[in-house]
Amino acid sequence: MNDLLKELCLINSISGDESAVREVIISKIKDFCKYKVDPLGNLICFCKGRKTSDKKLMICAHMDEVGFIVTGIRPDGTLAFDMVGGVDASVTIGRQVTVGKNHLHGVVGATAVHNLSKEQREKFPEMKSLYIDIGADNSEDAEKYISLGDCIYFDSEFTESGNHIKSKAIDDRAGCAMMIRLIQEQPEYDTYFVFNVQEEIGLRGSRVSAFSVQPDFAIVLEATTASDIDGVSGNKKVCSLGDGAVVSFMDRSTVYDKELYKLAFEIARENNLPCQTKTMIAGGNDAGAIHVSGKGIRTIAVSVPCRYLHSASCVISPEDFENSYVLVRNLAERIHKL
Amino acid sequence: MDIKNTLFELSEMSGASGNEASICVKSLDILRKYCCEAKIVNGNVIGRFGEFREDLPSLVLDAHIDQIGMIVTYITDDGFIKVGNLGGIDRRLLPAQPVTVHGRKDIKGVICSVPPHLSDGGNNVPTFDDISIDTGLSRAELENIVSLGDTVTFDVKCRELLNSRVTGGAFDDRSGMTAIMYALELLQNQKTRYNVTVIFSAQEELGERGAKIGAFEINPDIAIAVDVSFAYAQGEDEMKCGYLGKGAMIGVSPSLSREISDSLISTAKKNNIPYQIEVMNGLTSTNADQYSVSRDGSKACTVSIPLRNMHTPVEVIDIKDIEFTGKLLAEFIKEV
Repeated sequence: MNDLLKELCLINSISGDESAVREVIISKIKDFCKYKVDPLGNLICFCKGRKTSDKKLMICAHMDEVGFIVTGIRPDGTLAFDMVGGVDASVTIGRQVTVGKNHLHGVVGATAVHNLSKEQREKFPEMKSLYIDIGADNSEDAEKYISLGDCIYFDSEFTESGNHIKSKAIDDRAGCAMMIRLIQEQPEYDTYFVFNVQEEIGLRGSRVSAFSVQPDFAIVLEATTASDIDGVSGNKKVCSLGDGAVVSFMDRSTVYDKELYKLAFEIARENNLPCQTKTMIAGGNDAGAIHVSGKGIRTIAVSVPCRYLHSASCVISPEDFENSYVLVRNLAERIHKL
Repeated sequence: MDIKNTLFELSEMSGASGNEASICVKSLDILRKYCCEAKIVNGNVIGRFGEFREDLPSLVLDAHIDQIGMIVTYITDDGFIKVGNLGGIDRRLLPAQPVTVHGRKDIKGVICSVPPHLSDGGNNVPTFDDISIDTGLSRAELENIVSLGDTVTFDVKCRELLNSRVTGGAFDDRSGMTAIMYALELLQNQKTRYNVTVIFSAQEELGERGAKIGAFEINPDIAIAVDVSFAYAQGEDEMKCGYLGKGAMIGVSPSLSREISDSLISTAKKNNIPYQIEVMNGLTSTNADQYSVSRDGSKACTVSIPLRNMHTPVEVIDIKDIEFTGKLLAEFIKEV
């Protein structure tokens, strides 16, 4: 599953431009299920299980990653840009990026530290003060390669070192990879698998796909913020790498179904899978749109704990990734027996 | 010599100040193609170019071999590596930045970044007290690989931008080293008007320490520090910057030799080599400051390659400027 994750993470697809990752996902699942692409670009798959059930289950993950969009070309050939999804200036300044359809290399420039005032050195810059340098001589030169609205992606290596994996876009290609594996291994019961668009700009893809599928139950697969880093203790860690899948009772967008929440921990106990909950009410995901869709959908989210989410260097533990997969596979089966 | 390949090869090697051994060996290798006598002396790579002639004055071409970085000061119980800075680091761009820790073997890591839900809404840049490196290894695992005092550099690959511009992590001052090597190539089988010594000096970023002892060792009549300087970009003061692609920036400053500055300028003019003038009002913050006052003094000057985003993992230069710099140095040294 790590190789699959690598392949997916290295594809550039920000919100509103998910076609590249969707094409690769289709190539991997087309022989195992029926699928269609809806008007927003959501990939909705129906996978026959070994058994049928009177309960309709939807498992979903989002395909889009955070990034940036070109908003202007300045006379000096540099690009003005804005973020797509929530990205901090602190993880944007001084990075390599990939720009536009031609996949040009670029960098987010930074005034030399030598020339900053004492105050400037201690404050993160504002996003609007940043610019991208693609090496163009002037605006005319840049316009040969770049159009307004072109997408900008983090340029990041996928590395497996120590006990960690580091890459851009683990949020939520990790969820996509788990779903591809579930499809390829054929689920126990008939299941809808939905690869959503536009999660990062406000849970928009899932809103329409949940309406189309109208399931009784939904499992959202995600990557969620872990801040178990040096200097952070107690509840502020939120969740920790190595402590297994994260199943939270509540986040900023959802109060999760109590019975499903308990079931997840029960399954974890029975199978000796590490599993944890969040110790702060933080974050949110497609569950927010799904659980209030139509007449309501009983929803749970299973997330891989991830450090430095929404940066070019998301970090997860492969063990958590595998454990999350096993938990989801079991949960998908047990939901039908509720 | 392929300028871009040489620059990329040198820049993707690491050599934070005080830990330049591997880049020294590599550059010694390249330098030996041009210098019959080249060796590492107290951390500096020193090569003598061409045939020594009693009657000629001596000239040093200097570029510093080190780059900014960090140094391991502590490993926490949870396996996070604490570091101090080696040279001027812009702490604003450290969060979530990928790095390589140069222990018994190289290991990759990420600088920890506090997520938005934990920042107090403030906009404060972390100090080195708050900064740590996440390698995914436990303290016990780390202690087999990493020792206190090991160095850390940004983990970054060189990339080509549009036109002849390129980006990378240690162009300060691997660009200067590349320009000198290109100059030596142009001077092969040419008569020179100086006895030329090349010094790739250590620990510039910590206060020109390698150059201080290198200058004493060689005691040149003339020294040219080939370094990088600020290229204009948004946020910079245009009046204090050069421009990418417009040639080497020849230094003019009370601390430099006007005679050498003027002579470099007239060489550029005579040979139609693009150049720019960089005016400073005292010290230059380059190795030239050491050469000028070493022993009984020498005539020093700076020749700088314009560079954007200095001391970041995304330094940008124009390859043409290395070419122009190499040509200028070669023409200056050539016997007319």
